[in-house]
Amino acid sequence: MASVPHIAVVGGGSTGTGVARDLAMRGFDVTLVEQGNLTHGTTGRMHGLLHSGGRYAVADQASARECIAENRVLRDIASHCVEETGGLFVKRPEDSEQYFQEKLRGCEACDIPADVISGEQAREMEPHLAKDVEKAIVVPDGAVDPFRLVVANAASAQEHGARIETHSTVTDVLVEGGEVVGLEVEHDSGPGKHVHGTEGGIEEIRADHVVNATGAWAGRIGDMAGVDVAVRPSKGVMTVTNVRQVDTVVNRCRPKGDADIVVPHETTAILGTTDVEVDDPEDYPEEQWEVDELVDTLAELVPMLAEARTIRSFWGVRPLYEPPDVASDDPTDITRDFFLLDHVDRDDLPGMTTVVGGKFTTYRMMAESVVDHVCERFGVDAECRTADVPLPGSEEFSVLRDYMDEFGLRSPIGRRSVERLGSRADDVLATEEPNPVVCECEGVTRAELQDAIGQSGSDLNAVRIRTRASMGNCQGGFCAHRMASELHGDGGYDEATARRAWDDLLQERWKGQRHALWGEQLSQAMLNYALHATTQNRDNDPVDGDDVDFAAFDGGPEAVRTDGDNRGN
Amino acid sequence: MSDSQNHQFDPAAPNTGEDFEPVDVFDDSDDFDLRPGADSCYKCSTCDTNCPVAEVDDDFPGPKFQGPEQWRLKRRDDDHSVDDSVMDCSNCMRCDNACPSGVELSQMHNTARGEYVSEEMSVFSVEYVRNRLLANYRTSAWLASKVPRLANAAANFGPARWLGEKLLGVTDEREFPDFATETFTEWWAAQGGAAGSKERAREARERRGEPVDADKQVAYFHGCYAEYNTPEVAKALVRVYEHFGYEIVVPEQGCSGTPMFANGMLDDARRDAEVNVSSFADLVDEGYDAIASCTSCSMAIRQEYPELFDIDGIDDVAANTFESVEYLRIHEDLEDELTDADVGDDLAAEFAYHAPCHARNQGLDRQAVELFGDLEGVGVEDVGDSCSGISGTYGWKAEKYETSMKIGDEMFDHMETADGETGMTECPTCAMQMEHGTGYDVRHPLELLEAAVVE
Repeated sequence: MASVPHIAVVGGGSTGTGVARDLAMRGFDVTLVEQGNLTHGTTGRMHGLLHSGGRYAVADQASARECIAENRVLRDIASHCVEETGGLFVKRPEDSEQYFQEKLRGCEACDIPADVISGEQAREMEPHLAKDVEKAIVVPDGAVDPFRLVVANAASAQEHGARIETHSTVTDVLVEGGEVVGLEVEHDSGPGKHVHGTEGGIEEIRADHVVNATGAWAGRIGDMAGVDVAVRPSKGVMTVTNVRQVDTVVNRCRPKGDADIVVPHETTAILGTTDVEVDDPEDYPEEQWEVDELVDTLAELVPMLAEARTIRSFWGVRPLYEPPDVASDDPTDITRDFFLLDHVDRDDLPGMTTVVGGKFTTYRMMAESVVDHVCERFGVDAECRTADVPLPGSEEFSVLRDYMDEFGLRSPIGRRSVERLGSRADDVLATEEPNPVVCECEGVTRAELQDAIGQSGSDLNAVRIRTRASMGNCQGGFCAHRMASELHGDGGYDEATARRAWDDLLQERWKGQRHALWGEQLSQAMLNYALHATTQNRDNDPVDGDDVDFAAFDGGPEAVRTDGDNRGN
Repeated sequence: MSDSQNHQFDPAAPNTGEDFEPVDVFDDSDDFDLRPGADSCYKCSTCDTNCPVAEVDDDFPGPKFQGPEQWRLKRRDDDHSVDDSVMDCSNCMRCDNACPSGVELSQMHNTARGEYVSEEMSVFSVEYVRNRLLANYRTSAWLASKVPRLANAAANFGPARWLGEKLLGVTDEREFPDFATETFTEWWAAQGGAAGSKERAREARERRGEPVDADKQVAYFHGCYAEYNTPEVAKALVRVYEHFGYEIVVPEQGCSGTPMFANGMLDDARRDAEVNVSSFADLVDEGYDAIASCTSCSMAIRQEYPELFDIDGIDDVAANTFESVEYLRIHEDLEDELTDADVGDDLAAEFAYHAPCHARNQGLDRQAVELFGDLEGVGVEDVGDSCSGISGTYGWKAEKYETSMKIGDEMFDHMETADGETGMTECPTCAMQMEHGTGYDVRHPLELLEAAVVE
């Protein structure tokens, strides 16, 4: 064993990057591998709720207590990722009064600040709430941007010496002499920043310990190591509206159920969700009825949702886990608590620890306990500081600036940029170069995009999650090509690389829109198609597709004239 | 009382009634949430390509940004401030018409501008004072009308205009319009007011062989300019309408609000809107239709009122308001009437006609050309679809003057090439701009109609 233990972390979601940051801050040598870009798995597919714990205050008070504790920590260390929206548990006439009281008592029992307000007061806060909402409990729910949070964790880990490899799939867990000794990893495009078109390769990463933080994919990594990790993935659908109908998190106050939450998220609102167990976290049906049911049910709380434009829907899989002896039938009964599986005790396999279950809100606490466990294993005595040291971007900053004077930006654009960049705003936005708005829907400028390209390479989806560019109502229709040209111009990538990145981005944008093709978003998709087909030859691109068969066209006016006697006479 | 200042009205006590709706009530602008309006926007930018300000000013981000984009990026209950570029919008409202998918752009602009002025602009700033003065033109005009000759002399006294620019930022390039020595309503009262009109209308109906008790009653919204500056337009309206047998009433009224919307003075606009709606709603209830000779006044009442205010009866008034020539074209056989008409050469034989943007938005941009197309001895030539550039008070602001003239360039050019050397338009401030750019006299279609049909 080297003087500094080398730990390989698998999974670039909230848990994996949280573990990587904590390990690196405590002095470990860390390599993190992720098969897609950061947040590729479940983290990138959540509703963005920063739990107050209210949702668990009746059924799972241990989780509720953890949530409120971590809620407070994240407001502090990740302020540029969190919007303090507040939350409501609203009661409709048909919802149980008894449950409402239980919820209130539960919140009190878990030290979650909770106040009861009348239906009228609730509508004053949220004018679009249904007229027959009777009353509500106000709790400190919040909205959190999972992308920004994970990117910040990864950046912090890197600052502390960690190596972060995205687009790197684990193809094998190396077991030698009954002990896990590392990973075999296939890089999609070589190690380092992702560059489309660069030849990848297989790398053997030797490690003193492996942390399996792959959530719903944990079973797959377990299989490679020869251990059984029975994750029970459960899918849930989320639908994104074009604008915010509410500025507060709105929960329905009733026992577990589908379609009971609306979370304001940046410019949009996210409707959630459902809970259906699936076999494979990557291959499960995405069905339209799930979206319809979501919208219909939530329209009972916020009636205008029935007519609201939705820009896309996505599904996420919860990495639920329960010890094999519990055997719940219904996925909604499975605990949301997390489990640390020490494979030495459990399977007599040293060298690997798996973490499963848990919630986004408590990712830091999970990471802390994983790293405590690793420290114990290696006899390292180091304090966890992740609850005290702000993430990059969340150091002291103010969003109240004179955006035009300082950055030459129109007020709402400057405001949004500074909210996204936090304390990094001055470094990124104070540029002497022309800084046009590239994504108009979300107000993202060239400087912000170039900063993201500098962080993540030629992967425009990675640029997207850092900046929100192409995540607004046109879903990339008017900016995907501009983003690609940022790669080609100042980004320094060649045309072929930019084109491959552009294709990937459009493909990803299309994926979510497939489930929103009615009403306004259908018109938007048709307009995007027409624009892309006619101005970018997207319906058949001769550069990366087949050559155009020019012979199939006629030979021009001359040809037409000669083969028709009835012409030109 | 047909016309008066409404300074006794107390804007601090709006009628909120039982159905108080924070989402709709303008006074509480923090709660006025137009974000869902962005749902209809596909970002196609057709609005931007139709914006006359964006065409000449590269720094103006355009109506798409001012409207759906800015609203979507905003947050409620938050100090997200409206960008100051909203003050560069001239409120021509062309974007409303340009939009292929019904985004209510001008409503978003008006609301954002109102919010900008009340949240971001100091009431002690020169810009605010100047804009407030311009927006409340009616107040100054009312004062000037008490001493019209003095006012005319003083307003265009060189040093006074220089001071106006230096102190208030009102351009010294333009000459102030003359105030009439007799206001329209003074004249109207001298004609016997509504009672006199009833009598004359009855005589006309008799002469025309129409039933004496025919249901032909209109309430006239003359607006400020026809009241104080061009009463000849209002008088033409009265004579033409009475010729066709209409009984006219001229109810109590304030400013339509057009210059107030354009300057973000929404409290002022609401104050006058309450007066206008209250007096016209009663008449509409009794079966009157409302008519206006100024296309911006009719535009304000028809579109901006219901979009921006929630006042009892406002939808009825909006639905029953018409532009004055439009109304006659609907109800009378003007074509027939004009076939045998004989127009003397008092006015002119050839007119260079400019359709105001606000007329365009009401679908009226071709009406003068169509109406007078067959009138013997008169030619009316459309000078094209560009904006005149003055947009009410916009072109009066020193810092906007140049933009205003750049926008107007195309119209000036086309007027020069047109046959006529007399202009024609329905909008009083377009008329100012036409005159300023070409030196032509400018007439209202009602004046030509009067010359053609009234004995």
